[in-house]
Amino acid sequence: MDADRLTALPNPLLLSPSHSTPWREEQATHSMRSLAYFIGTFVVALMLGIGSAWYMIERGSPLTTTKVGPWASWISEGNPNADPYTEAHVARSGRLPLSSTVARYFTARTDSAGHTLTSACQYSIVGSPLNARWWSLAVYDENGGLIENPSGRYSFNDEELLRHADGSFRINLSSKARPENWLPSGAVEQPLMLMLRIYSPRETDASGVGLVPSERLPNVERTGCE
Amino acid sequence: MRVRIPGLYIVLGLVLAGLIHIVAVLTLPMLAPRNAQARLAALGPANTMIELPPASPGHQAMPMMAPDVRYAFCRFDLTNAPIRLRAAIADELWLIALYTPEGENFYTVAGADMKRAQLDLILAAADQTVEEAGVDAPESSDEVLVVNAPVAEGIALIRAPLAGPSRAARAENALKDTSCGPYTKSDSGG
Repeated sequence: MDADRLTALPNPLLLSPSHSTPWREEQATHSMRSLAYFIGTFVVALMLGIGSAWYMIERGSPLTTTKVGPWASWISEGNPNADPYTEAHVARSGRLPLSSTVARYFTARTDSAGHTLTSACQYSIVGSPLNARWWSLAVYDENGGLIENPSGRYSFNDEELLRHADGSFRINLSSKARPENWLPSGAVEQPLMLMLRIYSPRETDASGVGLVPSERLPNVERTGCE
Repeated sequence: MRVRIPGLYIVLGLVLAGLIHIVAVLTLPMLAPRNAQARLAALGPANTMIELPPASPGHQAMPMMAPDVRYAFCRFDLTNAPIRLRAAIADELWLIALYTPEGENFYTVAGADMKRAQLDLILAAADQTVEEAGVDAPESSDEVLVVNAPVAEGIALIRAPLAGPSRAARAENALKDTSCGPYTKSDSGG
């Protein structure tokens, strides 16, 4: 089966003009086939190697990131002795994140059901208070840019939120104005990214990395689409 | 023979893929479109405190900046001398973070951790001695923070998270009063 996949790749045999002498044809075919296998192997290896590296740097892997529902967070982000994947991720992001011992960043590109976040839909983001000195939830386009909106609102932090009596909150993420905490997702239909930044979490793990209990992370529920 | 070749190539392919993966992980940071150091270098000279305008759509020095944090940065260059960072910490939420050009956050001090509101931080390279800093400085030595940088060039970034929308103007003014410049010894006779 794998052999079939290899030979299905562009085969230099078909392009090669050098199979002229009949009495050497079998040997030539054999070495040509070896060459084709080798090139095929190399192309597949190149795609696998670069593809896996790109994915593990851009999106993370269980080695470097924790995933809780839709939220992903790089465990050693900004840390001077971080692993090469995390280092590459930070360098490519163009950001200057605080070390994970000082702050934790959680990003979400999907809702809690796993559907891609988009400004074509409305979401209800429900959460409970986080044990930290300061935290903020902001919405971005897929490139990390803030989204133009008439109210100039790009985020909610722990000091600005309207809360329920028990300290819990609901943020309405939608393109059209909503009551309570309205986080506008803009007039342009596009994929969205949420970032929850938690500065100085009060709990830490044994290595000093800020600890945010997974049940404390907000739930992102899609409430409707246009 | 022909039956055995594909198996061999699969093993070869996997080994090659592994090697390419490692090379890619180590080179992708260098091929980064624009890292933070490059983005900030475009905004002004080194060893100067530069206040970033509030992040807004289309106007962000770096991707995913916090819209409710005010920032000021100083791109430090320790080649000639250590640098001195001064700031009047407006509230306990402030964070002063030092970075390598690759974005490693090698030192952070929070407003809440400071004994007093005036930050006086001297940043020196490994081969620069600033032991006399505390003595020469008008303040008593325990008020001056001396940090050894693992790199000759990097970035100091001050974050002023806003405790509420009404605090923006106050934070922006406080950031204007921060400074960053070459450290000069007051007694340089010897």
